Amino acid sequence: MQSASMFLKKILRSPALPFAAQCGMKKDLLPLSRALSLSVCLKQDNSCNHKEKIDLDAWKTVMKSGLPEVIGETVSEHKELSTLAAARKTVEMWRLAGRLVPENITEEQLKTFIECPSKSAQKKYLKFLHLKELYKKNNKRKMDEKRERRLETKEQGSEPDEARRNSFICLWASCMDRAYSWRTAQSMIFGQPLVFDMSYEKDMSAREVANAVRQMVFSEGCNRRSADPFHIHFCNFKEDSLYHREFIKHYKEAWGKLLITVTDQCYTEVFPKDKLIYLTADSPKVMKTFDHDKIYIVGSIVDKSIKTGVSLARAKRLGLETAALPLEKYLLWNIGAKNLTLDQMMHILLTLKDTGDWKKALEFVPKRKYCGFVSKPIHELKKTLSLVNTLKLGRRHEELQKQFVKNYSEKLTRK
Amino acid sequence: MALFSQTSQQGFHALLWKCRMFWPVSRRQQLFAVSFSIPSREKVSYLSFVTSSSTALPVNPKGTDVFRSKKKSEIDYEEEKGWDEETKEISEGKLHFSSSVGAPKKLSQVMSRQNFTKVQPPEKPLQAEEWNRLKESFRSPKMFEMVMFNSMVRCNSPIDVAKSLLTYVAKSDGDVPYNLLVKYLALCVQQGQTSEIRDVYDIMKRRYKVIESAAYNLIIRGLSNSDQWRMALTLLEEVKKVMVPSRTNYESCIKAATCHQEMNLAIELYHEMLAKDLVPTLDVLQAFFDFSRGMKGAELQKELFGMLLHLRENQIYPHKTFMWSVKLWFESIPGGNWRGHLTNIKDSGQCPVCNHQLENSDLTEEEYNNLREKLVRDVIHGTDLFRKTSPQEFQAFQTFVEDRLPFDIVIDGLNVSHINPRKMHCENLFDAVNCLAKENARLLVLGRKHMLTNSSNWKREIMKEMQNKADFFFAENISEDDAFLLYATLQSGKHCKFVTRDFLRDHKACLSDSLTRHLFHKWQRRHQIVFASSVEGKHIRFLPTLCYDCVVQTTGDTWHIPYKDTLEEKYSYRVPRKWLCIQRTQ
Repeated sequence: MQSASMFLKKILRSPALPFAAQCGMKKDLLPLSRALSLSVCLKQDNSCNHKEKIDLDAWKTVMKSGLPEVIGETVSEHKELSTLAAARKTVEMWRLAGRLVPENITEEQLKTFIECPSKSAQKKYLKFLHLKELYKKNNKRKMDEKRERRLETKEQGSEPDEARRNSFICLWASCMDRAYSWRTAQSMIFGQPLVFDMSYEKDMSAREVANAVRQMVFSEGCNRRSADPFHIHFCNFKEDSLYHREFIKHYKEAWGKLLITVTDQCYTEVFPKDKLIYLTADSPKVMKTFDHDKIYIVGSIVDKSIKTGVSLARAKRLGLETAALPLEKYLLWNIGAKNLTLDQMMHILLTLKDTGDWKKALEFVPKRKYCGFVSKPIHELKKTLSLVNTLKLGRRHEELQKQFVKNYSEKLTRK
Repeated sequence: MALFSQTSQQGFHALLWKCRMFWPVSRRQQLFAVSFSIPSREKVSYLSFVTSSSTALPVNPKGTDVFRSKKKSEIDYEEEKGWDEETKEISEGKLHFSSSVGAPKKLSQVMSRQNFTKVQPPEKPLQAEEWNRLKESFRSPKMFEMVMFNSMVRCNSPIDVAKSLLTYVAKSDGDVPYNLLVKYLALCVQQGQTSEIRDVYDIMKRRYKVIESAAYNLIIRGLSNSDQWRMALTLLEEVKKVMVPSRTNYESCIKAATCHQEMNLAIELYHEMLAKDLVPTLDVLQAFFDFSRGMKGAELQKELFGMLLHLRENQIYPHKTFMWSVKLWFESIPGGNWRGHLTNIKDSGQCPVCNHQLENSDLTEEEYNNLREKLVRDVIHGTDLFRKTSPQEFQAFQTFVEDRLPFDIVIDGLNVSHINPRKMHCENLFDAVNCLAKENARLLVLGRKHMLTNSSNWKREIMKEMQNKADFFFAENISEDDAFLLYATLQSGKHCKFVTRDFLRDHKACLSDSLTRHLFHKWQRRHQIVFASSVEGKHIRFLPTLCYDCVVQTTGDTWHIPYKDTLEEKYSYRVPRKWLCIQRTQ
């Protein structure tokens, strides 16, 4: 092959194609016949084979045409770019190289990008931005499609509907909101308190804090919509903390009107100690029933790098009772950590409060984390488990799981 | 030229393929994959399990990226590989988090990926027409060039084929996208086409002004392997202006310099690399030893000795081939009269070849105190003392230990009680205590309070009997007993050992700086008694601890270098038993 390429180069440099190479207009000259065959090439003399061969370096001429000639002084071109501009350039080049980087990047994001401590952190951050951008784009596309569809249907059914007689008044969002607010206000007076412990700020990165706040916003929302809401307390809440800023970002001016109690006091100062129960996955005690006159505390922490025992340590320090959800007892756990998100906790607690039915409450545990409820006969679960795991993980894990199921059944029979 | 295999039973096929993809490889294969840095599928697919992001990610509408195929190890330059793996993770993560019977969309995705990996690049350069036809017949014409280039790199196609494709792209679009240029560059580097590499570099420079790291990596690697390696050095300078060069950049430049016997230059680069906190690979060090064979120069010798000491500082165990390079270099030193022998060191710590007693692995008093302080600060206190214990309990434990010092052996009661699953827990512990309680050794057994409640596994009579033979301390049920174990052993001093099967890796990880971690490791090797996995029913046997330190060491006239076989897997807690003994014969 080496010799062949050498040969090709020779041909290219031969003065047989003097003018064509310069103007990049070889298309007309190139007879579109069959591909170059080297053996034939080597047998024939040079005069006739340049008609049938492809100019392999044409792309270079195309690339070079229309570009300014490089001046020998490349140093002059190397103007010291400002770091921001240089970073922008880098990101742009990465995008061209086909990496996962966002198309548009703001100054602020660039600054964050530059401040990343390591190369891998930079990569992760860019990937995160890229995905965010994708979400945005896709949402926008969907919205546009929706709008178009709506317009189409409007055009088709252009004649206005007659106002149907209806005994029900259409409830608009504002009315709904008002109804919810009444309910929540009632719970502020008579409802069962539920405490979010906001003392974890220094244990989290900025992104984790943002995620935690988002989860709390979700939980506040679903609490407001429930039939019998909790009276939510944010305890240990420091003014102008990262939490606070994130909340303002989410709620804007509604932050002042929320029907929750926000305090910088500790929950031990607000409530009697013997009534408090700290919910944490590390707790040795398992919750059996939901107690209506206890006050449950949920630590508002998102721990992406699983920090075991942080919230348990808090409870130990204050000498509070702790409890964990009986996930093992009711669910055949498959994968993932047993710490749930704050909104999942909220859903579970609300359901427990309303019905006391564990099975219903634990519906809110993500489906990927468990294989089913324990109430089913074990052998059925075994089947599904092994099937799922053969597809997911391969055999070794399957054996482990079998072992696990066996132990599980032993445990149950012993009880 | 059959390019794609189209099957009618797509779903079934994909499912089969999926199973194959997640089928575990045998140990051996995995090992092979790891030792030769072939990116193995399994690794990636397990990885994606670790990721906690569970959202199904949107598919990139352009799809330029999601299906990149893997490259061969020859050219998988680090960053590129990383990105590829990430993208893989996304697409595979989707599979993982979907239910066992995926949505048809997902299956079709797998299907298409399978097809992409099966594209067979043509043997000869093609005309624009033919490329066009191929592109039309391809499933998603947008990605055609990308996929084709990837498979060319994989199959190591002749560059003429790649050139013809580039020409076709340039003719139809009037421009060649950057990522194709990078791929083409990878192909050229793979085949050592220096002039092409230079051409591509010139074009890139003109067209884009700034080049990103992946291309620089490739160009530097390509040029440093050729006779134009000086050019690679100038490029390295250029990279320095924009960013911190990666360690592979330095690696290629240093290798090139050593290859051409430019030792001073290589050493200069090596120091520059260390100054930038980049960890040199063993390959770099090996290149130094390989190419300075037979060279004179006290300076150079000092540098190479320095490299061996670098291995010592960081407790790195070189592999066999590296060891050979070192041996040959020593033996080639003019007038040095060095002789190297391979040997196994006995438990006594004496080298059978030169009868030299290896360094004792005891820590100095200062190191001891340092380690103890750090352990209390990082492992026991950490961010919050309540995470592992409580202040009252720790205080109680401290006074308990102070009253009864010094102990000879500290036992992790709960860990030892699980040795033999057929026996009761307390019986196991009883056996161990009896076994260790000879010669009036003072024992301390650490346990938890639940051991005191009379249960099926913990009989009160046996516990009573044991408490006559050893001191017991029972921690709270939710406290960490390991931290206590370490503390008590360190307090007792040099002669004290501890018994547990735990590797204590999580505690080692709590230590804040690597120096202390190394100290901890060294201390652990010296003081941890592990029991031999005996046949059931037999009484327990304990393995002796190593009394010599397993690091590169020298006395000036001798060098002892531990090394590992490339084929055996080495865990962090295992130390190699094979040594290279080098001595100067007068």
